[in-house]
Amino acid sequence: MELAVETHGLTREFGSLRAVDGIDLAVPAGSLYGFLGPNGAGKSTTIKCLTGLLRPTSGTMRILGTDPLADPVSVKRRTGVVPEDLALFDRLTGEETLSFIAQVHAMDVATAKSRASDLLDLMELTSANRTLVTDYSHGMRKKLSLAAALLPAPRLLFLDEPFEGIDAVASRQIKELLLSFVARGGTIFLTTHILEIVERLSTHIGIIAKGRLVAQGRIDELRAGAGIGKSLEDLFIGFVGGEARTHASLDWI
Amino acid sequence: MLRVLRAFAWMRWRVFVNSLERTGSRDTMERLSLAIEQLGPIVAAVTLIPATLMLSAGAMYAGYRLAGDEPISLAFDILRFVMLGAMALSIIGPIVMPINERPNAVRLLLLPIPRSALYAAQAAGAVSDPWVLLSLPIVIFLAVGLAAGGAVTAAAQAFVAGILFALALVGLSTLTTSAFSLVVRDRRRGELLGLLFILIIPIISMLPGLLQIQRDSHERRTARSRHERPMPEWMHGTATAVFGALPSELYVGATRTAVNRENAASAGSAAGLAAYVLALHGLALLAFTRLLDSPASMGLRRSTGRSESWGLRIPGLSPGASAVAIAQLRLATRTPRGRSLLLSPLLVFVLLAVMLQRSGGMDIGALPIASGQGLATFGSALCLLSILPFSMNQFAIDGAGLTLELLSPLSDSDILTGKMAGIGLIIVVPATVCLLIAFALFPGGALALWISIPLGLAATYLLVAPAAALISAVFPRAVDLNSYGRGSNAHGAAGFLGLLTFAAAGLPAIGLTTAATAIFRSPALAPVLLLVWCAIAFGIGRLLLIPVSRVFARRRENLGMIV
Repeated sequence: MELAVETHGLTREFGSLRAVDGIDLAVPAGSLYGFLGPNGAGKSTTIKCLTGLLRPTSGTMRILGTDPLADPVSVKRRTGVVPEDLALFDRLTGEETLSFIAQVHAMDVATAKSRASDLLDLMELTSANRTLVTDYSHGMRKKLSLAAALLPAPRLLFLDEPFEGIDAVASRQIKELLLSFVARGGTIFLTTHILEIVERLSTHIGIIAKGRLVAQGRIDELRAGAGIGKSLEDLFIGFVGGEARTHASLDWI
Repeated sequence: MLRVLRAFAWMRWRVFVNSLERTGSRDTMERLSLAIEQLGPIVAAVTLIPATLMLSAGAMYAGYRLAGDEPISLAFDILRFVMLGAMALSIIGPIVMPINERPNAVRLLLLPIPRSALYAAQAAGAVSDPWVLLSLPIVIFLAVGLAAGGAVTAAAQAFVAGILFALALVGLSTLTTSAFSLVVRDRRRGELLGLLFILIIPIISMLPGLLQIQRDSHERRTARSRHERPMPEWMHGTATAVFGALPSELYVGATRTAVNRENAASAGSAAGLAAYVLALHGLALLAFTRLLDSPASMGLRRSTGRSESWGLRIPGLSPGASAVAIAQLRLATRTPRGRSLLLSPLLVFVLLAVMLQRSGGMDIGALPIASGQGLATFGSALCLLSILPFSMNQFAIDGAGLTLELLSPLSDSDILTGKMAGIGLIIVVPATVCLLIAFALFPGGALALWISIPLGLAATYLLVAPAAALISAVFPRAVDLNSYGRGSNAHGAAGFLGLLTFAAAGLPAIGLTTAATAIFRSPALAPVLLLVWCAIAFGIGRLLLIPVSRVFARRRENLGMIV
């Protein structure tokens, strides 16, 4: 099985805190991999390590067959990222943001313009394409960030909470877009807290808790292993040990 | 009400204490950077203590002398101007304060507290502003000094007037804060105001200095004195009346008349102060209520012009570096602080040009400016210096945009070269305008020396650029380029090192020009020497890029996290 993302013993420490603790990820090429975990589990730190924003303390990584630490530029040419903070220049317009991405990817102008037009149409940002990003709503920024990630036609997308703050209509459009991206052979590494989205879209999942990868595999196989009738929520809570928290007595509320 | 005030006082105290604690540092370099950054507020807090003691002693002495029937005392006059300064700071201070240090109206609205209590808490918070804090010992100890000198009744009257003055200061500060928040609620209006503020305040503050620095030429002075006309009587009378009606002057008047046992006059001044207190707090409450009614931004979306962004490329740079440079240039032209960096050297330069045309020559410190070439050199240096807040914090100013650059397939060299080129372009525009204006107004002098000016600037920038990248990587500071003071400045250490770098990098160019003109007595030699020096500086800059790239690579993670 060809792997789009592969890590061995990936570890990241912040002082005495081990945010990511020796995880071994195996994300098959052409899959939509849902990376789940409770708040503070290490999801964003993992994504930052994979996308080159953080350097792992130890462990190895291969992204699309290349070591991102040895050849980061080559990896970044083939990947797109929608990070948690969206990473956009406040004082560029939507169109200028896409133009910036096109230039850093050395795309030819005609192709870049045509793709940007398609993406802005799809994201319903055409009327705001000359508006400064600082005046965009959160949802518009998210859509622009996704458009920027898709513009160079990457083979692998890292999406950190892409559905947060997105309305239902846009959410559906983005889901369809992601499914068609995977159908054409692309790979998506997605983190979200919305389990229904993972349940509907993902082919594979990985669950991280307290920095450790506690489960990984095809979603149907994991569900079958857990028992008949188990939802992804049951599966998730079972793996991260959230049952105890629901028993807490809060009579005073 | 007291419970609310106590909660707010505790919150402000904790915010202050927490700001001094070490938070979020990821390595030794960042700990050092944060420590240096925190040094400023600590030093300010520490210097507040001796300043308070000195003002207390000075006020007590002035009060004692006043009670001893000495109506004109130097100490009292000094205090009078300190209070005038406190009034000015009550207006300027809340505007230049970084946005994140201002109370957030939305957050306040969510609290289960009546609006009147919220206003009282906001006004009480203004008491901790340094300009109010420094006024309190004056009004208290002046009264103590008067009492010690035997003028007990006058002391009581002065104390009442002093408290009213302090309340007026608090009202002024609170009114400015709320009114300013109302203005900047509309982002475009706020940015315009900010730009005007940034440009006008330094120029106004420069004017007296500029008027002083005119060369002491006896002939010119004599000639000028023949043309001098006294200020018209009505203008003088109005200015005196307006000055006399200021709260600080009313306080001075109330105190002086109380000492002279002119009780009616003293009570009149105190009543004037009371009227100020009522009016200022009334207006402040009105502005505060209006702000709470609609605290969110009311700005409309801004669109840029129809300029073509596709295919724009700076010749000689890789596509990636060119994209970084263009993004940098756009950041400068679309933020209030960036625009001020472009415009303020030009405005100062124009002022100097006018002065030079009027006086025929002037000295700025030890630097004599007597020709267009001197003026153009000064303008070029000013353009390079004014860019320090940008160039010495060139990575962090991008905010989230830096993350985009770090996630993009850009090599370290692309990012560094792009930044250098972008900042260079920001300098080129005002520097060229300065040169052209100087040449148009004062065309005299050897052409070779005119050519030397841009060459000297280029050579200096080629050396400053890698150093600026290094300093920016080591001392990044998250900034808000919409703010007008400390909030948009580079890290203190970066600013200081930037000044030193600028001076050191400029010395060879000055030395070569001096050598050509004074030693070899051949102005034509200056551009040749500077051209060679430009080539050497370019080579040195390229060589310096190697270690700078290494440092940048090591600091990428920290830079990404700090923004």
